[in-house]
This record gives sequence, C-alpha cells and structure tokens, in this order.
Amino acid sequence: MSFGLLSKERIIAGPGFNRWLVPPAALAIHLSIGMAYGLSVFWLPLSRAIGVSAAAPGDWKVSTLGWTFSLAIFFLGVSAAVFGRWLERVGPRRAGVVAAFCWGGGFLVGALAVRLHNIWLLYLGIGIIGGCGLGLGYISPVSTLIKWFPDRRGMATGMAIMGFGGGAMIGSPLANLLMNHYKTATSVGVQETFVALGVIYFVAMIAGAFGYRVPPPGWRPVGWAPPAPQANTMITARQVHVDQAWLTPQFWLLWTVLCMNVSAGIGVINMASPMLQEVFGGKLIGGAGALKDLADADKVQVAAIGAGFAALLSLFNIAGRIFWASMSDYLGRKRTYFIFFALGIVLYAAAPSAGLAGVIPLFVAIFCVILTMYGGGFSTIPAYLADLFGTQHVGAIHGRLLTAWSVAGVLGPVVVDYLRDYQLGRGVPAADAYNTTMYILAALLVIGFIANLMVRPVAERYFMTDAQLADERRQAHEAGAAK
Amino acid sequence: MTNGSGQPRPSAGSWVVVVIAWALVGLPLAWGVSKTLQTAVKLFR
Repeated sequence: MSFGLLSKERIIAGPGFNRWLVPPAALAIHLSIGMAYGLSVFWLPLSRAIGVSAAAPGDWKVSTLGWTFSLAIFFLGVSAAVFGRWLERVGPRRAGVVAAFCWGGGFLVGALAVRLHNIWLLYLGIGIIGGCGLGLGYISPVSTLIKWFPDRRGMATGMAIMGFGGGAMIGSPLANLLMNHYKTATSVGVQETFVALGVIYFVAMIAGAFGYRVPPPGWRPVGWAPPAPQANTMITARQVHVDQAWLTPQFWLLWTVLCMNVSAGIGVINMASPMLQEVFGGKLIGGAGALKDLADADKVQVAAIGAGFAALLSLFNIAGRIFWASMSDYLGRKRTYFIFFALGIVLYAAAPSAGLAGVIPLFVAIFCVILTMYGGGFSTIPAYLADLFGTQHVGAIHGRLLTAWSVAGVLGPVVVDYLRDYQLGRGVPAADAYNTTMYILAALLVIGFIANLMVRPVAERYFMTDAQLADERRQAHEAGAAK
Repeated sequence: MTNGSGQPRPSAGSWVVVVIAWALVGLPLAWGVSKTLQTAVKLFR
C-alpha cells in the first residue's frame, strides 16, 4: 500500500471538507485538455512553418497536420478504456498528474517536432502522448464527483465535462495571442507557443490534480439519504465490476446511445459553417444568389457569418453540457436521452425545410438546440452509468464507453463527407446537398432512440457480492471501507 | 454541526476558498466565452 503524495489514502477528505472545491479542480483539468478541440488553430501557421509568409517546398499540408487531432481523439478513447481500471485503483490525483505530464509534455514534444520539422514527432507528441493525457484527464474526476454529489450526479459531472467543451474557447484565442507575440520574420511562432501552452496546461492540471479529494467511506450530503432500493429500479445501490459491466446488454445499449448521439452531432459540427453559407448564400448579407455566384468581398462577409454561426454553436454545446446533465437529475437519465433522440429526430428532419423556406432564425435556432443535446449527451452519460452499474467502477466503465466516441469521431464526418460528395457528383445543387445528410443523421438518432428505450435495470447476476465488493475496496486502497 | 453521516459541516471560511477556486477557473472561461461571443455576434449583424 502506498502512502506517497499521490496515493489515494492521502486524498481522503478531512472532516468539514467543502465538496464544492472538487468541481473547480476537475474543471482546471477539463478546461486544459479541452484545447484538443482548438488544435486546428495551429494548422494554417504550421502549413507555412518553413516559408513563414507563404507555404514553401517541404512545408506540411493542413490535411497532414489534421491527423494529429484524429490521433489525439483516438488515443483519448483507447487510454480511457485501458487505464480506467488503473485509475479506480490509484485514485484521481495520480491519474490527474500523469495526465498533466502527458498533455503538457505532449506540447513540449510538439515544440521539438516543429523545431526539427518532423511530422511523426508531432503525431507522437500531441497525437499519441497528448491523446493519452486527454483520456486520463477526461475520466479522472468522474467517479470522484459522482461520490461527492450522490444527490446531483448529473450536475456534478456536467460541470466538469462542460470544461472540456469550453477549453478551446480559452485555448484558441490564447494560442493566437501567443503566436502573434512570438512570430518573427523567420518563425510563425508555433514552437514557442507550444512550449508556453505546455507549461500553462501542466501547471493548471497539476493544480487541479492536487485539488482532488475523495470522500471518506460512508460520507453523504447533509439531509440526503440514498433512495430506497425499490423506489427507482433504474438507480441501483449495488455495484457492477468493470470486467462484468461490458458483458451486460446495458453497456452496449449505452455505447450505442452515445455513439449515435455523438455521430450525429459531430456530423453537424463539421458542416455547420459551410452549410449555412451554401444554403442561404447572399441572403445572409441581405442580398440574393447562391454562394458560388457572389463577389469575393461578399464571400468574405458570408464566411465571417459562417464563423459566427460555428462560434454560437460552440456556446450552445457547452451550455447544453451543464443544462441537460443538471436536468437529468430531475427527469431521470432515460427520459433525458428520450428527449435528446425524440426532439433530435424532429429537429434534424425539420432543418432542410427551414433552409428551403429561407427562414434563417429558425434554421439557426434548430442547430443551437441540436448542439445543446450533443453536449448534453456527453455530460449525462457518466450519471447514467452510475445509476445502472453503481459508483465503485463508474470511472473505468465510463472509460470503456468512450470508445464509442472514437468510433463516432470517424462515423459522423465520414457519413457527412461521403454523402455530400456523392450527391454533388450526381449533380445535386450544393445548397440542397445537405438535405439527405440531415435525414441520414436523423436515422442515426432513431437507432439511438431504440437503444435507449431498450435499457432496463442490470440483471442480478452481474452485481458484486458483499465479499467481492469488500475485496475490491481493499485493492482500491479504500482503507476505511474495507474495515 | 454534522451532516447525515455524522461528519462536520464545511466551515464558513471554506466557502471563501470555494469562491477563489471557482474564480480561478471561471474567469478564464468567462474570457473565452466573451471572445467566442465577439465572433458569434457577426451572425446577427
């Protein structure tokens, strides 16, 4: 048993600890790793790292650089799945510190990659090492928050996961400021920016990790009592081992729920800005005509409006993370996902009509609501898992479920890009090419809707016995609980 | 005063630390949100 500074025993909260200190610790980590969504801010400057003012022979292509993000998201899912069990054993602080070394260190390796102009080193640094930091950092606070807030599981995890959505809002403008500060006649400033961000994220994540505390065994909030076993069969008071959880139909139904919700949402995020521009064209600036027929100056204006639309959607994305997760504490998780899918299907199917009717505010409003449910899907799933499988291994189970995100990260964009190219190839006008895509994304939501409807309480045989649970808690160094 | 499991309630001073901790993460987030809003308003001009 280890009693080091990072060990689980050292972070058991003392008497009178204020549980509201844990969410900001989790936010410090999630806001840092959320920069994963803002990595694209580096691709254009890096595409002229040699030529500086313009791309030169030997400069990387934007499409080549884009693989760094794909690798990072892939390794987020893989590391969360692989290391979730380890996290439950060693506790959130050690996992948070390792995540800080991986994410902050990944940026430092990335800086070296820029200096040496070695794309493989960039993939290794930010894509693979950084991606492992993303996975560990993402799941590190989940079970801790759920144990501190048994009365508001959804809200607690929603606060942390909101940070992942908001990280790029801080990181992207900060990166632009730093690149402008460091750029010279011979450098685009990315190398120095990577070093600065690596240090900033390392410090913020270490601070977050050292802010983590786990509740002492038996702790519960003032005035709260666990629900009676028969009061709500969708919330168990028992525990399923992570190695059993993935054998249950409930795990794979929730995997499908997350995968379909995220696939549809990512599909929309990817095409939001070009879709608005191509569907409405000159109408966006008070004129008329298709986008391709506009003058160059008008196209610049329309592009700025498209960027504004994307920014608005990102705000609704993070707002949805805290709103829906908090609402799920009152509505119940199954009902919340019922709303996501039922309302989502209607909205996805209605979007083409709003485009055809030329009603811009309705079109924008539809996508804003869709994005709240995309964010809400991420933030509500840990509480759904805790309800069905118990809190003992929820971090590890959540880690394995995040493989759905990795799959969705490929599925959503592929569906959108393939369908769009296919339709354009058949001569469908650009403005109409999105309609079929929206119907296909609505069909993905139908699959998620059915999967969610099929979720039932976990069967008796999957739960740990009291002896297994006691042994598990001993292994997890939950000293007091094992007594 | 104790909570439901017999542990003492958080002290009044701990709420000051809570406010500081939330400010440390909330202020950067508010800055990021304001920057995003500046971009988003172009949609409404």
